[in-house]
Amino acid sequence: MNLDLTWRLLKGGGRRGLLGTWLTLGAVAVSTALLLFAVAANFAFDARADRGAWRNPVPAGDGAAVAIEASRFDYVRDQAITVVDLAALKDGVPAPPGLPRFPKPGEVWLSPALAELTRELPADQFADRYPNRAGVLGDAGLVHPDELVAVVGHEPDAPAMVAARSDDWIVGKEPTKVASLAGTPGEDAEAYKALALVASVLMVVPLLVFGGAAARLTVARRDQRLATLRLVGATPGQVVAMTVAEAVLVALAGALAGAVVFALAVPLLARIEIQGGPWFVADLFPSLTDLGAVVVAVPLLVGLSAVIGLQRVVVSPLGVAKRETPPAMRFVRVLVLLAVLAVFPMLTKGTSVAIVAVALALAFLCLNLAGPWVVGLIGRITAAGARGPARLLAGRRLVDDPRSAWRTVSGVALTGFVAGFLGLLSPDAFTTQSGSPQLSVTAPPGQVERVADQARERLAAAEVTATVESRERVVVAALGSSADAATVDRARTALAGLVPGRTPTTEADEQRFGIQILDDIRVGTVVVLSVSFLVAIASAGITAASSILDRRQTYGLLRLAGTPLEVLDRARRSETLIPLAVMGGGAILVGVFCAMPFMMGSISTVGVITLAGCVVAGFAGVIGAGAMSRPLLRSVTADPAPRPD
Amino acid sequence: MNDVLVGRALAKRFGQTVALGGVDIAVRAGEAVAIMGPSGSGKSTLLHCLAGIMKPDAGEVHLLGQRIDAMGERKRSALRRTRFGFVFQFGQLLPELPAEENVALPLMLGGVPRTQAVRQAREWFAPLGLQGMEGRRPGELSGGQAQRVAIARALVTKPAVVFADEPTGALDQQTGHGTMRLLVEATRHNGASLIVVTHDPNVAGWCDRTVEVRDGLLLTTGVHA
Repeated sequence: MNLDLTWRLLKGGGRRGLLGTWLTLGAVAVSTALLLFAVAANFAFDARADRGAWRNPVPAGDGAAVAIEASRFDYVRDQAITVVDLAALKDGVPAPPGLPRFPKPGEVWLSPALAELTRELPADQFADRYPNRAGVLGDAGLVHPDELVAVVGHEPDAPAMVAARSDDWIVGKEPTKVASLAGTPGEDAEAYKALALVASVLMVVPLLVFGGAAARLTVARRDQRLATLRLVGATPGQVVAMTVAEAVLVALAGALAGAVVFALAVPLLARIEIQGGPWFVADLFPSLTDLGAVVVAVPLLVGLSAVIGLQRVVVSPLGVAKRETPPAMRFVRVLVLLAVLAVFPMLTKGTSVAIVAVALALAFLCLNLAGPWVVGLIGRITAAGARGPARLLAGRRLVDDPRSAWRTVSGVALTGFVAGFLGLLSPDAFTTQSGSPQLSVTAPPGQVERVADQARERLAAAEVTATVESRERVVVAALGSSADAATVDRARTALAGLVPGRTPTTEADEQRFGIQILDDIRVGTVVVLSVSFLVAIASAGITAASSILDRRQTYGLLRLAGTPLEVLDRARRSETLIPLAVMGGGAILVGVFCAMPFMMGSISTVGVITLAGCVVAGFAGVIGAGAMSRPLLRSVTADPAPRPD
Repeated sequence: MNDVLVGRALAKRFGQTVALGGVDIAVRAGEAVAIMGPSGSGKSTLLHCLAGIMKPDAGEVHLLGQRIDAMGERKRSALRRTRFGFVFQFGQLLPELPAEENVALPLMLGGVPRTQAVRQAREWFAPLGLQGMEGRRPGELSGGQAQRVAIARALVTKPAVVFADEPTGALDQQTGHGTMRLLVEATRHNGASLIVVTHDPNVAGWCDRTVEVRDGLLLTTGVHA
């Protein structure tokens, strides 16, 4: 019976009631799509880590070894190539991922993107480094579709399989005897997974807040009616059941729509380049179980939020029906936030990522808890200092319903927190290379002069003008200021294999991984901020429209009494912008405060620009979203005389 | 001769429904006129056309000799704010504002500084029996008290005409009686005219004259002989 009545009330809500329902549905759809993205990103990094694990060898126990595996990086133009050297210790060693069989000594297998480069670039610049190409590496062995990988087969006693590699684990793996090529995810893959987890927390919390706000929209629109139902004798259980049923029904439709939107957006999302390349589309699709879990969890959370929003109606129906002065919120909300913030100075760069993620999530949630209290305070100050009607109306409304005002600005405020947090974590640590290019390679002990002589001969044969000299164990070939990228690659190709297991590198090559990680952090920052902004602006637009629907009687009567629409617009703008300025600024400062223990060097220019861009885009977005509801305000106040009597 | 508000040949349709079929009406300065009629007779439409809330399809409305139905929305809004006052059945007070600010709002909209507007607004509370209610919000007032606050708000700008649509419709008989007495006395004391839409003969009894509307037409003459 409750469900039947709920459905009748939902259908009978009229055009404006239905508009409210659509707003809720849209909000849940946006939330679900972005939530799926946040969830899928974690699984996608997991998938990448798993596919790249075979290149990170796990040493075998005594007697169990079946092969030797080593790796290093080579470079072409401004891209890094992962070179995996393999040697079988016995017959019938299982094939590495992506290969049909274990590579024979002398054979080279290239990833599709690398094979393409061998065709695009002249042989003396690149292809000559990888002769005897046996085939193309399959997707199962690649981290991403554009990855440059070469798998080279060797005899077990070949120089490349016994020579020492770089001292830096990031740029090479020592020859290691392995029992299988399963490997284990590398340190860099684990770091990316951790960063993805932090990014997810930063994205998911505002999404949950937004989803909750969407649920309360349903309740806000229904509270008068539900209070009336209570007055005529509906039990609290019936009222709760009806509201939850309505919220869950709408949210389920929204969640399904969000899943469809996400599925359609995956091909575009897959183009976002992280770790040097885009994504396999399949990586970004969560499994059916995960998809089902999100689609079921979202309506349940919305239902729960609706129950919380209903507390006032259920406990005191007259309180809502008569619009008494709402009870003041407790200062304890701010105290809880301060308590959580007090934890951050105790964290360090060495603190476990899980603890940082939990602390961040708590700070985020507490900011959301303290927000309405601060908005109420801002309202009291605004109303007290108001000289004109617009400010007075704005201030009084903020005091009357600080939670609703917070819902409008919370998205941007929480985005400010994200921007403040990430703004400090992307320093300009690396400077661009200056001077003429030079290639350096470390020679084995006692062989520096021999390696230098060979380098001179090889470069002369390749007709590359260079000055070769040795500096302690390092042989350096200075290519002259006129050397372009093609010359550098000709020199690299000429010097390939000069020192087994080592690659001649430029200064830029050595900084490439640091630059790559910072680039990825910047991309990640932009992605997180984009998601947060989408949520913030959608939130601002939906709550602005919903607020007009909820207050249409008030607006209609104000207009009837001769209030110019401009005054109403100004009041609505002030109602949003005053708390936005205070809360957005405050949230940025809180974000900066939380990021301080993890700062890497000085504050970055890019970070400050990102932060400033965030503030400008946030204000512009909220003002724009609010302005979009102006026609709705004109529509609901166009006919202030409700009856043709 | 001293007609404040005049409506001539006012006509209004809502789709196929004729709400006003050519109505003539005139209201003198300080006069209280009741517009009576059953539901759907067109009495509220007549009030809305006279108050510049709604534009008639045909006919003219003049306030102190100035034609107002041809004005744009902006001018009509300004007119409603400065020359008219409104009292309705319910819901006309802003729930977020305390009573004194509800009364002060029309003054503030007209550019009066807030402190002065609130001071002027407070002067209305004692004469209307609302002492001590200045800081209360509408939800904390009784129906009769809320209507008296609405009367104060309608009169605070010293309007030429006060429009009241079923002002006692949501009140019990005794409270309604007291509210009507205050409305008529306060309006008269301020030299304003009063136009009351009602279906209650007791309410109409407080007015100087009654015009009856049925099917969009006046059964009795709306103009003075």
